[in-house]
Amino acid sequence: MSEGIIMDTILSTMFYFWITLFVAYFLMQRGLWIFSDVAKGTASFMLEKALGPGADLVEGRPGAGARSWIMQGALWMIFASMFTFTSMWLTHDPDALHSLASWGYSANADELASAGVYATLYGTVSMFIIGCSFHIIPKLAGTELASETNANLVSFVWTISVLMLIIGSQNNNILGIDIIPLGIALNNVLLLAVIMNQLLTVANKTRNIAMPGWLILIALLSSPIIAIVSIVSGAADDNVGQWLTYHIFGGTFFFAGVAGIALYASSIASGNPLWSKTLVGVTLIGSIFTINPFGDVDGQMVMDAFGPLVDNNVTSFTNQDMLSASFLMALVSIPVLAFSSNMLVTMRGSDMFVDDPDASGNAELNLGSWLIIPIVIGSLFVQTDTVSGTNELLGISNSISVMAGWLVLVPLSLGAALSLYPELVGRHLFSPNRARWGFWMMTGGAIFGLSITMIADFMDIALTELSVEDPSSLSEELRKVGSVMFYGVVIGSILHALNMVTGMFRGDIISKKSVRNSSISVESYALVSPTTIRRILSSGADLDTEVIPTGENDEKGSATKL
Amino acid sequence: MVVIFLTGTIRGVAMSTNTIDSVDVFLQGEKEPSGSWVFIVLGLVLSLSFLVLYSILYPGQDLPVISDLMPVFKGVFDSGIWFFILGTMIGIFAILGRLLLEATSE
Repeated sequence: MSEGIIMDTILSTMFYFWITLFVAYFLMQRGLWIFSDVAKGTASFMLEKALGPGADLVEGRPGAGARSWIMQGALWMIFASMFTFTSMWLTHDPDALHSLASWGYSANADELASAGVYATLYGTVSMFIIGCSFHIIPKLAGTELASETNANLVSFVWTISVLMLIIGSQNNNILGIDIIPLGIALNNVLLLAVIMNQLLTVANKTRNIAMPGWLILIALLSSPIIAIVSIVSGAADDNVGQWLTYHIFGGTFFFAGVAGIALYASSIASGNPLWSKTLVGVTLIGSIFTINPFGDVDGQMVMDAFGPLVDNNVTSFTNQDMLSASFLMALVSIPVLAFSSNMLVTMRGSDMFVDDPDASGNAELNLGSWLIIPIVIGSLFVQTDTVSGTNELLGISNSISVMAGWLVLVPLSLGAALSLYPELVGRHLFSPNRARWGFWMMTGGAIFGLSITMIADFMDIALTELSVEDPSSLSEELRKVGSVMFYGVVIGSILHALNMVTGMFRGDIISKKSVRNSSISVESYALVSPTTIRRILSSGADLDTEVIPTGENDEKGSATKL
Repeated sequence: MVVIFLTGTIRGVAMSTNTIDSVDVFLQGEKEPSGSWVFIVLGLVLSLSFLVLYSILYPGQDLPVISDLMPVFKGVFDSGIWFFILGTMIGIFAILGRLLLEATSE
């Protein structure tokens, strides 16, 4: 393939992606002219009536959809951490699970790592993003979710699709059928149902949607758009295009999605108004126009996902590719810094108080906002090293990719889910103490476990460069310690999931007074009784908010004339 | 434990005392006392000390696994990973048990 064509793969794919996304945004703002009502009616019919008896399987009460997605996301977190832990263990002890061979299953570290990635990204993070979005978008649009029943039902089928991906990661070909492409296809069909539900909700909006809502909507829309663009433009047919597709998907669906729910939750958890609308805009634009360096150094997942639809024409990055890819990746520091600073200042507040510093989810949101900067810098080094063909840091790519998952994406999405939990469930978490323990176990396990594993990676890189044939026993010992420490993440996941499940039944019932509203778009504040300025500010009012006294009438009443 | 509620006026004339006999009531605070960390750290240090002692007393020998403790599982639970897998299974069954218990209770 000529150099010019390869260059086109990166720039033309991104160009088509931007144009399609812009058209989608334009249509969302302007509607479909005379077809709008027909489209609304058809979508509404497809979301509920077309499901037939399936719709009767689940409840359609307000908040049921979001609750269902978030609870299943919490349960997937246990399996995601367990798969990752097991793969880390098998790296230094490949025969640890040999006894399972008698059941016909031979455990393999790489395959289990792949299962861990699918369970983390599609099971945990995606379910938290979509679950939170089912609560956030209607709130910001000032309306109800178009179909709670559909949202609830789709969550269970999504779980089945994640299960298919995990089975496919262990054995992709069963009875001649490729399982991973099938799971991805089902996943995308379900995502279309989610998008239709959200677009129908947006169509009924009663006010302008605040910026975090757009981050979420763009994140949801970007997934099918990049899939179609990648296949139609032929980008998915070579390694450069697969790498690009993987990172555009990660930068828009995961980064923008997580940023949207985390920014909304930062205001909810702290009781402070969102610091800067401009920085949210920068985060949104940056997530679309830059290449996010989080994740793998190759596009293997894209090739697995598209299956028979793509070829595997191996090509390497040309000089022009390196230039454009490195430039667009370096630019990612702009949206990341904008997001991180906005989160941290919002959570700290402008007047040095936080409404409830012990609120669940605060700690996770803080952690993710801090760690996103060093991890994105580390990922940038690794990806640039790969793009340039140096491949000196290839050995640590897996550790830093897992770090991005467990120290950025999972904490931010889990923090957002925990912050919204009381309003969705109507009860507080069962035990704040258990939530605290869950946080420390997850954080300690991920930071120490993965850092120690990364040290072992560096040792192996150094030994390989020196051409030492005898493997280092110290490196192996470090991997053992790293995997055992990572088990803290499994315990933390179990504590969080148990806390959330028990809280549904036995958590303290929240009073109306304690329900916190988003402070993102408060334009007026109804003053019904004497209150403090602190409480008014905590509810999201700022200096431009109009305070409207709603006084009681002391005039003597009289009989109503009929 | 006896909980005393005191209700008084400013003058302190009218004061009533209610007591609740709470012999069967289990109380647990949500705030963790700072002193409890000392014992956790002490436990960690002791665990590490025993591991070091083990490596001195039995040099070159791996830590015992489930099949060493229960020979009936020889050939099945031959790796230390099974401690962790069983721990996770206990956690998962605790969640399932909680769901079933709450769903079937009145």
